[in-house]
Amino acid sequence: MNGAVPTTIIVAGLALAGYALLMTALNRRMNVPLLAAVGVLEILLLVEVGLIVAKLAGGQRPAGLATLIGYLIATPIVPVVAAFWGLMERSRWGPAVIAVAGLVAAVLMVRLHQIWPVIHV
Amino acid sequence: MSEPAASPEPAASPEPAASPEPAASPEPAASRPDSTRTGPGRLLVAVYGLFALSASARAGVQIATKFGHAPVAYLLSAFAGVVYIVATVTLSNGSPIARRIAVLSCSIELVGVLAVGTWSLADRASFPDATVWSGYGSGYGFVPLVLPVFGLLWLRRWARRSRFGGTIVTSAQDTGEAAGGGLAHGESGASGQGADGASGQGADGASGQGADDVVADGRT
Repeated sequence: MNGAVPTTIIVAGLALAGYALLMTALNRRMNVPLLAAVGVLEILLLVEVGLIVAKLAGGQRPAGLATLIGYLIATPIVPVVAAFWGLMERSRWGPAVIAVAGLVAAVLMVRLHQIWPVIHV
Repeated sequence: MSEPAASPEPAASPEPAASPEPAASPEPAASRPDSTRTGPGRLLVAVYGLFALSASARAGVQIATKFGHAPVAYLLSAFAGVVYIVATVTLSNGSPIARRIAVLSCSIELVGVLAVGTWSLADRASFPDATVWSGYGSGYGFVPLVLPVFGLLWLRRWARRSRFGGTIVTSAQDTGEAAGGGLAHGESGASGQGADGASGQGADGASGQGADDVVADGRT
């Protein structure tokens, strides 16, 4: 399985986290560019989930199928929940929540690879 | 996502160094009082929620599919998951009672991560599979070790502020909720603010809200 998408997600997630933390450090609130970046991350995650689902549909199975399905459900939810939760905050801590989502997206890609090594990173 | 209402204006933020434009978005319509879920608490609740989900989901899968493999580790994971859920809910609620429960669950969490961390290193045979807390949370970037410390610091700071006349307590609703205490202990609210090193914001918040908040929260 091509590792381009997960690798892109890791880079994008870490970049998003860095940008969001910079906003927190500079005392900025949530803004449209940051939300757009979250949207890009979300699309990338959905693409990755789609690729994995296609692989499952092709008949291949990992050892920990239940865990993998849990990750497939949780992964696309993370940026959405983070965006809503961050938007409720009217201070620098809104972007900090987004930073967590970026880091989590990167970590999730590594974990997916551990759960099912055919998912390259 | 338990809380639909937006937080009040930045002047009400528990973070003293908060945004420099308190007048920019007054939003007097915000109905809910400020709380442990706002400001830095927003980040804390997010991370607690993440761990509540991951620890309990992981424990659920492990107990359901291979409980006999490492029962001690899986039960401890489940326990950790419950503690994280309680901390998430109480921190995002933020009422005085919820804060007390949050202090308790953060304390249990800190003791748990230290005890299980030590136990997992001393008796590896009992932990053929990892828990959230084994190795002091090393499998999770030591976040489980740091999280309760920040949680307790945040709760202590919040309790102090509301006790000292409450620059955080921003509405009549919350003042009623916190009713009961007399004016507190030796220190004044002003000195409590000053200790946080943000005199401009501190003074601003105090003058803006002090009038509403004569009632101090006597319970911590």
